[in-house]
Amino acid sequence: MMEITQMQLDALRVIGNIGSGHAATALSTMLNRRIEMSIPEVRIIEFEKAPTVIGHLEVPQAVVYVKVEGEAPGKAVFFFPLESAEILVQVLFGTSDSFNLFENEMAQSALKEVGNILVSSFLIALTNFSGIPFQPSVPALAVDMVGAIFDAILLEDGILEDTVLFINTQLTGIPKIEGKFVFLPDEGSLRKLLGALGV
Amino acid sequence: MSNVISVGMADLKTTKAPNILMTAGLGSCIGICIHDPVQKVGGMAHIMLPTAGNGPVGNPAKYADTAMDLLVAEIISLGALKSRLRAKMAGGAQMFSFPGKPQVLRIGDRNAEQVMLELKRLGIPLIVADVGGSFGRTIHFDVGTGELRVRTINHGEKVI
Repeated sequence: MMEITQMQLDALRVIGNIGSGHAATALSTMLNRRIEMSIPEVRIIEFEKAPTVIGHLEVPQAVVYVKVEGEAPGKAVFFFPLESAEILVQVLFGTSDSFNLFENEMAQSALKEVGNILVSSFLIALTNFSGIPFQPSVPALAVDMVGAIFDAILLEDGILEDTVLFINTQLTGIPKIEGKFVFLPDEGSLRKLLGALGV
Repeated sequence: MSNVISVGMADLKTTKAPNILMTAGLGSCIGICIHDPVQKVGGMAHIMLPTAGNGPVGNPAKYADTAMDLLVAEIISLGALKSRLRAKMAGGAQMFSFPGKPQVLRIGDRNAEQVMLELKRLGIPLIVADVGGSFGRTIHFDVGTGELRVRTINHGEKVI
């Protein structure tokens, strides 16, 4: 992983902030609920310390994963605790019925769609800001141990740097919706992104 | 009194009976467990990728082709006899599939294949494996009895 200056970290935080803001607005509109996003954290950490970002490895979460392709590829991932994922689905369907997120395909499609809209909004903001076009893949969903999901995402390309750059934002909705958005730019993409920002 | 010793990602630990080694949330990674049932010592490695390739290895526990020799050497240093070593493994899942895209790089499968190659090279029998599927696993390995407990969220729990 490249060395990163304080100025570059600040620039990434600004990007994260604008992108997450767009995503939060999109989610608020979709759910007709107030959704807030924390100021993004930008951290470069050893992958072994990933649990400090994503939570206890064995606890199940609903995770939407979108590959970002184009000139500056990367990975966009939404982590939702199961209770929050279920509330999201209930709000979307306007019901208080309970859903088995492991098996209910309709609920799973709804969550993928939420991920799709959030990631697209994030990327549009990123493109507006940097001038770099990004293309999101079709979203994929896994509902399982968060560690298992995260290792599969990290290792998908068959390589693993010792450190990973996380741009992560906490989402909080009213009532009781929580989630986490993580953007992982590939190493080359980071240079490209920072270059486009002139830092 | 047995202790549960946690093995992290790209980590490797050895211990004596009655201790238990555990690793949480294996996806495409593999938990490889080796023990000597007579000396009642053993170890576990949580490997992430099949081979280190040509680059700098860094942490050898990260790769199947570099972790196994180290794991075996450490188990032998606890008094194990190489000819008595037996292995079990779990993990190697494919957590995501993208519709319409060929899965050229099925890391889980490749990890499992590489572990089998390394075991063959080392002459250590693989007693049982619980690999593949599209779900995560948490494993507990009893180095004395060789019992491997595999826990999943939605696919049950078993001892192999």
